[in-house]
Amino acid sequence: MAGRRACIVGGGMCKWGVREASYIDMVQEAAKACLEDVPGLKPTNIDGLLFSSTFVGRRSVQANTAPVVAERLGLKPTSICARVDVLCAGGSTGILLAKGLVESGMADVVMVVGCEKLYTPERWQVQYDEIAAIDHDWDAPQGIGPPPLWFAMIAKEHMKHYGTKREQLGMVSVINYGYGYTNPKGHFQRKLTMEDVLNATEIAAPLGLYDCCPLTDGSAAVIIASEEKAKELSDRPLVYIRGGAQVSLHSVSANWPGEHLGDWPHLRLAAKKAYANAKISPKDVDVAQVHDCFSISEIVEVEELGFCKKGEGGLFVESGQTKLGGAIPTNTDGGLLSCGHPFGATGIRQAIEILKQLQGRATNQVNGAAIGITHNLSGSCVEHTIVIYGREPRK
Amino acid sequence: MATAWIPFLEGRYSPTLDMWPIEAKEFNRIYKFYENLREGKFTTTKCQKCGRVAYPPRVICPECYSDELEWIELPKKGKVIVVVEKWGGVPICYEPPLIDAWIDLGKDSPVRHILSRMINCPPESLKEGDEVQLAVFDVPAHPIELKKETIKAERVFFAFEPVKK
Repeated sequence: MAGRRACIVGGGMCKWGVREASYIDMVQEAAKACLEDVPGLKPTNIDGLLFSSTFVGRRSVQANTAPVVAERLGLKPTSICARVDVLCAGGSTGILLAKGLVESGMADVVMVVGCEKLYTPERWQVQYDEIAAIDHDWDAPQGIGPPPLWFAMIAKEHMKHYGTKREQLGMVSVINYGYGYTNPKGHFQRKLTMEDVLNATEIAAPLGLYDCCPLTDGSAAVIIASEEKAKELSDRPLVYIRGGAQVSLHSVSANWPGEHLGDWPHLRLAAKKAYANAKISPKDVDVAQVHDCFSISEIVEVEELGFCKKGEGGLFVESGQTKLGGAIPTNTDGGLLSCGHPFGATGIRQAIEILKQLQGRATNQVNGAAIGITHNLSGSCVEHTIVIYGREPRK
Repeated sequence: MATAWIPFLEGRYSPTLDMWPIEAKEFNRIYKFYENLREGKFTTTKCQKCGRVAYPPRVICPECYSDELEWIELPKKGKVIVVVEKWGGVPICYEPPLIDAWIDLGKDSPVRHILSRMINCPPESLKEGDEVQLAVFDVPAHPIELKKETIKAERVFFAFEPVKK
């Protein structure tokens, strides 16, 4: 007899962008949108809360945030009430932890909500605070807290070792902004041309403005529940959290685990573990949400996730394989590039898009999608987190 | 009239907004790294039990958890593998461009690569294969409250610079 299984039941997000709102305002907006997606679920029926945020303790000066969030959302958690900080992967981590809690029998219905309020009254702090996002005493003083420098190095190395072209990076932005154009909750709703990308303000060559995701305020929430509860709560097709993995092999850049900066063995390992855990292979993936914090990131990720051969990520994107009708439509709601990246909320936004895809109700629907994957890297690529979802449970 | 005040608006120090390490021995058991740096030496810790060299320096060996460690010197010169310049979105503490390089310290170094900011380096002058060297500089001091007095903790940090041809 199969043990308890965890499902993702519903989700919602607030409008993302530069918001005239506090973190706790946005959390309430996201929770409201989430419960509107699961009609009949009352706050008091939610027994667990995981709140994902990295900068709330720094830019909003609130430690021990989970009880604050629980109270404002009308929750009275009895299984778990905690905050998760894995920077860019906090939301996905919350989902993996909720899966474990539900499958262990400790929790039945958990809300995972992520939020970042990144814009401060004086704008200088927005970039300066990024210094806290990497290994503080060793890498921060070298200037790579704001990550474009590091990812520009990765792009140059990938170009050198594999012949990846500038226009292939640009194609990631053009495609993902094309998807994001249809997502009213994302930061941007505009289409880009290759000319827009190539002529944009240079941030750190070869990366221009549109190769970099924006800094964004935002919140997103999902409900993770046992299969039994999920059946009670929703008439929609069940979506199971089939498996996942989280890998961290280093923190200080000097201990980079790859042969060169375009080689990401920590992501390969995470993918291998996650596929084995979910009992699937890369060829089973119908739709993906990968961490396109920069255009180059998506190119390396589609390689290391096994969607194409190593070194052929540029060609994979250029040949339309991430578009609808391609091999694995990717970042179909706009990704980080177009939706923005409120760190702790990003993995939850990705989960919502995969949920909609697997239930056949996404805006940019992949026909018959049955297996979806989300991926996040954290900080200067020091941790990789993967969650795999399926219409069928792991057998 | 204000009945309360905000310390940092009145110039009080907070580590929360300090981008440099708290290096002083009152707060840091690897303060020797910074003392060595002040003498122009680039160092890290080596385990006396198993021989493992770890960077950054630490108080236990990550291999065998021994706390019997010694300080060793790392190469102060290396070669640029890749260099980048950032003009937009540079944090307020730096003048653009912010130039960083991924440096090869050589096959004989127990720490093969280091990421460093480049100083004394004109824009667009550095390229792959160029030789670079350690450069130590002063960074702002911060106060430390001791029992009877407040002292000023002087600090240094490092970057790399081009070797003059």
